[in-house]
Amino acid sequence: MTSPILASGLVRTFGTGDNEVRAVDGVDLEVNAGEIFGFLGPNGAGKSTTVRMLTTLLRPTGGSAQVAGYDVVTEADSVRRNIGVALQDAAIDPLMTGQELLRLQAVLYGLPRSEHRSRADELLERVGLSSAGDRRVGTYSGGMRRRLDLALSLIHEPSVLFLDEPTTGLDPMSRMALWEEIRRLNGEGTTVLLTTQYLEEADQLADRVAIIDNGRIVREGAPEALKAGVGSPTLFVRVASAQEDAASAVLSRFGELRPTAEGMLGVGLNGGAGEVSAVVRALDEHGVSVDHLELSAPSLDDVFAEATGHRLEGAESPSGG
Amino acid sequence: MTATLRIPPRGFRPALDQTAAMSRRAVIALVRQPSLVIPSLVFPLFFAALGTSSFGRAISIPGFPEVDSFLDFALAGSIVQGILFGSIVSATALATDIETGFFDRLIAAPTSRISILLGRLAGAMAYGAVQTVLFVVILLPFGLTIRGGVLALLAMMVGGLLTALAVAAVMSTMALRTGSSEAVQGSFPLLFVILFFSSAFFPRQTMDGAYRWIATLNPISYLVEGFRSLTIDSVSALAVAQTVLIPLALAIGGVRLALRSLRRRVAAA
Repeated sequence: MTSPILASGLVRTFGTGDNEVRAVDGVDLEVNAGEIFGFLGPNGAGKSTTVRMLTTLLRPTGGSAQVAGYDVVTEADSVRRNIGVALQDAAIDPLMTGQELLRLQAVLYGLPRSEHRSRADELLERVGLSSAGDRRVGTYSGGMRRRLDLALSLIHEPSVLFLDEPTTGLDPMSRMALWEEIRRLNGEGTTVLLTTQYLEEADQLADRVAIIDNGRIVREGAPEALKAGVGSPTLFVRVASAQEDAASAVLSRFGELRPTAEGMLGVGLNGGAGEVSAVVRALDEHGVSVDHLELSAPSLDDVFAEATGHRLEGAESPSGG
Repeated sequence: MTATLRIPPRGFRPALDQTAAMSRRAVIALVRQPSLVIPSLVFPLFFAALGTSSFGRAISIPGFPEVDSFLDFALAGSIVQGILFGSIVSATALATDIETGFFDRLIAAPTSRISILLGRLAGAMAYGAVQTVLFVVILLPFGLTIRGGVLALLAMMVGGLLTALAVAAVMSTMALRTGSSEAVQGSFPLLFVILFFSSAFFPRQTMDGAYRWIATLNPISYLVEGFRSLTIDSVSALAVAQTVLIPLALAIGGVRLALRSLRRRVAAA
């Protein structure tokens, strides 16, 4: 079976001559069926432009892409019938109610008339908007709009879902709720491509991540693997001072000892985060009792910085944990 | 990978349903934004009232059509004026959809492209027909008489609907070309000028020189005169033809322009 999302050498330029901007500059993508694929990058990196091309809203200047098995240019109509789309900058009509919009969407996607009401109710319940269904969208909070947006994109139970910055501007609670829903959808077999400028979102949600900067993908892989590529995670251990030598001897078997603050021991785990339990068991076997244990993994921001030479704009600096 | 469970069907029937749904949305938008709609209702009525009280005796000027009151004369101008303003509301809504991205939402779905435009135009048509009847109903207690009777009212309703379609189509063309609600609203003075250089407010018979010449070239004059003839004379084939065929011709041209702009906008992406 072909990948649900496949792009090769995708290019999109805006303007001509000296004013030409290459918003997307040769993007290759292969998203596997059933995965959550995160497209991470700062504002203006080319994420939305790529998504607009993949969802048939924008014609590529160069390259090609197949979504749900259809070419995004020559079979655009078939692509649209098989994907769900929630776009960051596509506003929802504030004059209509959630229920009305879902029913309009049901008409646009050709659902049988007898199912419109029940499908709308079902989706409202799914995203926790049952009680707000008859209110105009103009009265919704940002989080409610995003949830309605997600519900709208699900009307025809698409196998491939595009979410363009689904949580940008949301408070942490709303963000978590949306993540949970995206995971649930994915658990039901939906392939999800989401764009985000939040490191944590890509890290938490995505099975694989592509980091995009200046229209080019600079890194691609599972978040853990990408971070591992930057360097091994550091395990910080605090033990009673009398046991420090014994502890150091054990820790050094798992990797290079690293400088730490006074009273702490640190080791770069060559085998990655998975070795923590082995370290704990080994310490235990040698009679070392651990007071405090902390694993500090390289973040996706470290990956981004290593790949591009600059930090992801607006990202929190990786502190403490 | 689970397949998409409900692959949307293709064909004429879904396109028809979509046009109906988009029309419903257009009407909902008009009903729920009274602040946008009311001025286009009140302003022409205000003009009619002002004219009737200020120019009450103008009807005895030589060359002025024979009427019972100035109000009978003014109705046609008010109806066309109201429709011009009302159509701006519809076209502005289309431009706003483009600005806010709702248009993208529609074209990302397997929506029949034409239904996006037709829905808006249907909203404008419904508005034009309702407005025509409303004006007559409101003005009847103030001494308005429709000489042509129910048949005339019917012809005026159809004419009102087609006029709304024509103007909304031209304005929608602008909305689709520019994607800017400000540009659409900015055309308001232009519409007003076109209306003033027609026989909407005064009969051509009482005009002079260049003004009369322009009004004679202006198709709006004949449209208004059709409406007027139905009000102050009787139902004649010529009056019905003027009331219905002029806006029909304008509508056909306008809709073709709008469709071309729609195709261009959808393809330009």
